[in-house]
Amino acid sequence: MRETLALSTHIVRRNWTVYKKDLIANISPTVADPALIMVSLGFGLGGYLTNVEGMSYMHYLAPGLTIATSLFTSFFESSYGFFVRMTYENVFKAMLTTPIGAREVVLGEMLWVGLKGAVMSIGVTIVLAIFGMMINPWLIPLLGIVGFLVALPCGAMGLLSTALVRNINQFQTVYSFLIAPLYFLSGIFFPISEMSAPVKFIADCFPLIHGVRLAQSVFWNRDIASTFLVHGGILVVQSLVFCGFAYRQIRKKLVQ
Amino acid sequence: MIKARALKKNFGEFCAVNDLTLEIRQGECFGLLGPNGAGKSTFIGMTYGSVERTAGELSVFGLDPATHARVIKKRMGVVTQENALDESLTVFENMLIYCAFIGVPSQERHKRVTDLLEYMNLAHKKDDRILALSGGMKRRLVFVRALLGNPELLILDEPTTGLDPAVRHLLWGKVKELRQEGTTILLTTHYMHEAEVLCDRLVIMNKGKVAAEGSPAKLITEHTPGHVGIYNFDSREELKSLAEKKDFIFLEDSSGIYLRASRMEDLLSTGIPALQLRPANLEDVFLKLTGTELATDA
Repeated sequence: MRETLALSTHIVRRNWTVYKKDLIANISPTVADPALIMVSLGFGLGGYLTNVEGMSYMHYLAPGLTIATSLFTSFFESSYGFFVRMTYENVFKAMLTTPIGAREVVLGEMLWVGLKGAVMSIGVTIVLAIFGMMINPWLIPLLGIVGFLVALPCGAMGLLSTALVRNINQFQTVYSFLIAPLYFLSGIFFPISEMSAPVKFIADCFPLIHGVRLAQSVFWNRDIASTFLVHGGILVVQSLVFCGFAYRQIRKKLVQ
Repeated sequence: MIKARALKKNFGEFCAVNDLTLEIRQGECFGLLGPNGAGKSTFIGMTYGSVERTAGELSVFGLDPATHARVIKKRMGVVTQENALDESLTVFENMLIYCAFIGVPSQERHKRVTDLLEYMNLAHKKDDRILALSGGMKRRLVFVRALLGNPELLILDEPTTGLDPAVRHLLWGKVKELRQEGTTILLTTHYMHEAEVLCDRLVIMNKGKVAAEGSPAKLITEHTPGHVGIYNFDSREELKSLAEKKDFIFLEDSSGIYLRASRMEDLLSTGIPALQLRPANLEDVFLKLTGTELATDA
């Protein structure tokens, strides 16, 4: 197991070496998108919504944007990114002739998206904290843990879709029918309590809503320990389940 | 070093490897020849666990690749059929990350890569992107990648396909050096001359099975002894009747007519001018055994 972990970190290092070559281009959408939403919805719509769960709309929106960053970072990396590495760049074909096997590939990829999710979430949170969106900015590192916990199952969903799509265009379908609905129906833009029961039930089966709850508890400094226990626990279980499915399917692509 | 017994691999209905039995001994250069789809690459994939066998037995270094792939892969280097170089990285970065994958200690990586790049005449390209390399350079770099771990077993899956003769000869030289240093080599190729130059022993595979096994010389003596004349199609009928009369082997394919006789003088005495006259070689054995020979043994 220790060797598996060590080999997986080499994959993380490989991805980081590639990623840092275009650091600005890679980071800018991750930071720019939440900033744009903050300005357009927070300032714009926020003018009309002065009291959402006892706070301004900007304060309400901030935690969810952190989690959305983790979702998009991890999903796009393990879907489009992984698909390109696997299909067009043939990166794994040679990698699998080394002591690396399918297990290390999947674990390495999961570690990578987890770390990316953590770093991006912290980055976005710092910007939001500067604008006074966090009650206690000393809690920023906790958002790293939340970002990691959200990125794992979301990355696994991306990896699973990579194993199932027949060509790169089909990711658009996954985005439209899975990722976008999760994004809009997980309590980022309006309170979870306003959602209808069936929608809430479906949303609960996916990671985003639990990540939003965690981020909200940290941003608003409310019931942090108990929220981590319940929703953090759910995210860990979901990570294991989704990663398990993803591994089984990706293995079929890598090992004939 | 590699032992396969009654090895089988099915992809759905298609049987890629069917009852394959062979043994590759330590220190030899062993060739795996066969037409496209004969099962060569499938077999190679099985040796390092990226293809799972359907049935039969396989051992590499005495270990089963299905359960000990990681240990096996630490001791082998593979020149993959496709270059599969990481195009997002430079030449040097590519090799450094592979050193990490195969467990070269970090303090040795720089020197190992530098030495091997020099060995393959690529030192001047170390900071280039992969896309900036020519086809021959990429292939040489894949050799560097396969050699990073000082492998006991080197697998070459069609190592020189698509390369110009100069690069091919350079790579042959390197393979011979490695063989002399004691590296066991498993080679698949479409080039019969390559197999004759490099291999101590080889098998010719057809439809997932071994069709023949032995040294190149033994295979030629056993299957296609004698000399071959190659003719253009103008004399087809004349050659055919001559073959029937004189007990020659007659063969034609899209490139010309082949006539095989036991002695060169027999071919010269026909009086029909040949495009080429030569001793029979592995190509003749290959064509005979893989079903491309359309001969009528007269």
